Amino acid sequence: MSLPAAEVAADFRDALQDLRMNSRPEISNLTLIAKENTEYAQAISTELENHIRTTRPEWKLPSLYVLDSIVKNVGTPYTVYLGRNLYRTFMDAYLVVDQATRKAMEGLLRTWKQSVPESMETRPVFPANVTGDIENAVNKIRTVAAQTQVPRPMHALPARPPSNVAWRDTSTPPQNLPRYPAPNDPRRPAGFPPTPQYGASMPVATPPMPFQQQFNSPQPMSSVDLADLKAELAQLVATTQTSFAHNPADRDIQTKLQALLSLKQILDTQTLPPQQLEAVRKQVRSLAPTPAPLPAFAPPTPLQGFPQHGIPPGFPPVGALPASAPPNIAQLLAGFRPPVQTTPQPAPTPQPPTFNLADLLKRVSSPTQSSSVPAPAPFQPPPFTGFPPPITTPVPAPAAAVPPAAANPTANLAALLAQFNKPGAVPPPVPATPVQPMATPQLPPQSASSGPAPGSAEWLLAALGGTSRGTPANGTPFAAQPMARQISAPTNVLNDIEFTTASMKKPRLHLISRLYEVKPNICATCGRRFENTPEGKEKKARHMDWHFKVKDPDAAKRGVHRSWYMSEKDWIDYREVDETTPATNAATTNSVAKPKRQAKDRYVLVPQDPALQHAPCPICQEKFETQWNVDANDFVWMDALQVGGKIYHATCFEEYSKGAGIPMPSTPDSVLGKRKAENGVGVEGKKVRSF
Amino acid sequence: MISLPGLNLAAPPTETLSVPTSSITREQDLPANTEYRFEVSFSRTLTVRLRSGTAEYFGTELAPSTTYSFQGTKGAIYTWHGCKLELGGQVESDYVAEETPMMSHANLHFALEMLRDRSVVSNSVEMGPRVLVVGAENAGKTALVKTLTSYAVKSGRQPMVINLDPRQGLLSVPGSLSAAAFSSIVDIEEGWGSSPISGPSPVPVKMPLVYHYGLKDPEEGKLFKPLVTRMALAVTSRLEEDKASKQAGFVIDSSGTISAGKAGVYENIEHIVSEFSVNVLITIGSERLYSDLSRKFSNRSSDETVNVIRIDKSGGCVDRSEEYMKALRHSQIREYFFGHGEDALAPSSMTADFGDLNIFRVIENDESGFAAGDAEDYNPASTGVSIYERITPSSTLTNKLLAITTASPNDKHEVIRDSSVRGYIYVADVDEAKRKVRLLSPQPGHFPGSAMVLGSWPEDVAGLVS
Repeated sequence: MSLPAAEVAADFRDALQDLRMNSRPEISNLTLIAKENTEYAQAISTELENHIRTTRPEWKLPSLYVLDSIVKNVGTPYTVYLGRNLYRTFMDAYLVVDQATRKAMEGLLRTWKQSVPESMETRPVFPANVTGDIENAVNKIRTVAAQTQVPRPMHALPARPPSNVAWRDTSTPPQNLPRYPAPNDPRRPAGFPPTPQYGASMPVATPPMPFQQQFNSPQPMSSVDLADLKAELAQLVATTQTSFAHNPADRDIQTKLQALLSLKQILDTQTLPPQQLEAVRKQVRSLAPTPAPLPAFAPPTPLQGFPQHGIPPGFPPVGALPASAPPNIAQLLAGFRPPVQTTPQPAPTPQPPTFNLADLLKRVSSPTQSSSVPAPAPFQPPPFTGFPPPITTPVPAPAAAVPPAAANPTANLAALLAQFNKPGAVPPPVPATPVQPMATPQLPPQSASSGPAPGSAEWLLAALGGTSRGTPANGTPFAAQPMARQISAPTNVLNDIEFTTASMKKPRLHLISRLYEVKPNICATCGRRFENTPEGKEKKARHMDWHFKVKDPDAAKRGVHRSWYMSEKDWIDYREVDETTPATNAATTNSVAKPKRQAKDRYVLVPQDPALQHAPCPICQEKFETQWNVDANDFVWMDALQVGGKIYHATCFEEYSKGAGIPMPSTPDSVLGKRKAENGVGVEGKKVRSF
Repeated sequence: MISLPGLNLAAPPTETLSVPTSSITREQDLPANTEYRFEVSFSRTLTVRLRSGTAEYFGTELAPSTTYSFQGTKGAIYTWHGCKLELGGQVESDYVAEETPMMSHANLHFALEMLRDRSVVSNSVEMGPRVLVVGAENAGKTALVKTLTSYAVKSGRQPMVINLDPRQGLLSVPGSLSAAAFSSIVDIEEGWGSSPISGPSPVPVKMPLVYHYGLKDPEEGKLFKPLVTRMALAVTSRLEEDKASKQAGFVIDSSGTISAGKAGVYENIEHIVSEFSVNVLITIGSERLYSDLSRKFSNRSSDETVNVIRIDKSGGCVDRSEEYMKALRHSQIREYFFGHGEDALAPSSMTADFGDLNIFRVIENDESGFAAGDAEDYNPASTGVSIYERITPSSTLTNKLLAITTASPNDKHEVIRDSSVRGYIYVADVDEAKRKVRLLSPQPGHFPGSAMVLGSWPEDVAGLVS
């Protein structure tokens, strides 16, 4: 019996996930899976294509080798399925990998134009028209790359080294998924839906925000190359994961990792306006352990007369100069923050901006508020110097956000931003009671009545920034706030749900991702979801094992029956067993501890001999209870013991043997053990009978 | 007590009608946030398979590669993201609804999650949310309870579900009151799932604690309230030690009749609220019930606040005819003995002497008894009330269900009443001349010689063994 397609695909995907280098055994193993499951070739092909598309650039080549190995060693139907999207699969990868990998890929392409070596087949691996199109595109890219030393965009085809030179054809609007529509793809099927399955989920169409217009005015935002950004992010995720692995107890890292993963997910699934991408990139860079292109921090010059709205005329275009961009954003954003410290940091060292994304997002997410705030009186010209405190000391303050009092149900971005939030997975680090938003006098109104989305964005940023919120400088009025922010991160977005009839009716679609996207790994058989973490995968593996164990086609024929319910006392002592918990734990929690546990746990397989089958226990004259035993993978009589051709209740026999001085057979109740018992204790068996 | 293995009932009666008449399937596109509502009779089967997108059946997600079949069901498949369903078989009626109360249900879930987080933070000192759902018959109480349970399970919690509606069973037969912790997904096809069986089960079994009530509706006399008290005691004891369940709290499903009230007084609701320390009281539909209850619970002291919330009744709630409900109950009883669908169970047929059976029948109050009012108030200190009368088997027993308690026949009536149930046996036939009873027992071998309780509910189930 074969596993259903989705299961096979999932297995294949899991195996692919571990493929990170050019490893022959792993690749041949994957090829073998593909070979043995040709009936699910389509699912496997899709899985492989997806993997090549989504994996990190440096892991793309091994996956392409898998593709190569499959088409060469298995051939049809894989050549058919993989050939259909080969152009995209190949080109998408080609565009984001480094020069060396490109060379290797070109070599791969050359072999596809020929027939498989040492095979009877004379036709090329892939039809000429497939490889031809790819070759044309590759040639074009190489020509362009050769002509211009500085990588220039050619349509949407950037040929560039991985260094992050900002470039963009400014007229290009933010692209939809797929981000790299390979140019002039002649083979892309017309009706091919490029979006993933949850395509309709989130309202992506952000309404034009005043914010965007502000930013767009002076100079087109130098945009972020999404691929680079994603690569950077992936890198960062990986490093964070490593440090998390070394330090699993560190809540900071955990929170940060979560935030990064959410961010990654957003980048994978959403289309963000360039401004946000820019902010995200800065954030990511600032977090990178060795931030290579970290912009030098401009000397602190408190901006006087900073208007509350819009950008001052002399404000340098955001992002125009990477060196000055972060502080500028910071300044800009500071306008939407509570006035923080007025005392500049002594000797400001280069500091990555830690707040900008939060504020940016916060600003974006509550457009009504930010655009209509009527220049609050206490609003001070915010000197930006103090506001990104040094990141040197990680402070255990995952800095949950202000629980918003009034949600803005119409803010579309709320849904989007809510994705920044990884729910529930992390238990709150500090036992602290949720604190309501602190409306300190210094806070501008929007902080006091901000929507839920700012909350999550803030949380995300705080988590990404990691560290900053907890250490306010120099006992400013702001110092009160970190306390308020220390409430547990996972709960914060929920805090606005009051237990009132009206509150229940408010749409909060952004929360739904907690039921779905947060656990992306679904069991194809029963629909149970697992997190996309090593732990989640382990759980799923055990879960699948369990599915396999209970899937016994013969079970139905063997007279399964309803068991008696538990008694009240047993029920009170009973603890649920999850099939995903490791077996050792399950064994100890599974059965209620009983004094005669050892004897009770003995079992024999239900005998085939009908006479024996119906014989009661010779001691108590009661019948045995037939049960399914997972370990034996068969029906057994629990609490049973075979001695000398008779089956006794193990507890009865134990009691009896104690009195009679007969040793309990110590052999296990395996088939072999049973035989030994028969031979060895046969004489005593008779005694028992005569008793 | 003799068991006759030869008389083992083979398989459940083959239901030829249930086989889909044709294998033709049709496709149903569901836009995001809509619901596919369907009614399938007991003689037909609807098969549903998720082609793309996501979909959930009362909160439990449909797996992408599983075909679900529904029979005798009035249900709804909701999608948050939009989906494509492949439908097969025949339905009585089906349509796609755009207006659903799912957003409220989800909000409710997240609000409860907040309380659960709080309990986790408090290191289980605080108990998770204690929820009671009330509302008229067919208002969608059980659907809401199920959705809340599924969502909680999905969020990695282990909520307890308590059924106080004797009209339909939870993991047991109608007439019972039960409680179970849910750590695994709620079955889609089989109501709430299955209680333990002796073999492997494709969906993890749930472990219910079952009490027998034996009447159709909760009265306000000597049976319902004490059982609620008893159950609350058991549940609370369990939660004291069972951290995972304590953090997740519990959801109580109730009978529609307790929401009817008498002149604005809802004795049973109040009793449940106080026994289980309910802190979230959800009323479905009725404005009046909401207003009455929120007034009632508004002036509680702060440490025992009861949040009263009203949730709109779903437009998908249909009045289920008495005929349908009866068929539903019968299928629940049938499932108890014979299992569900492909996972057939083999109950055991046996005969017993009259003397082996210690049957206690619930004495039902006549109408005047209810009217007596104060005198009927439950008093835990009272003793010697006769709740049951001991009867000898007669032909009137035929087709009845007997609850096997854990109490000894010589125990006091209160002890018998408060004891949990091991299981049920069905009286297939009574031979008064030979003083023998033919029984259907869920499992072979002897059954405990404890007291058995006979109630007037569920009604006779004819033809369970034919």
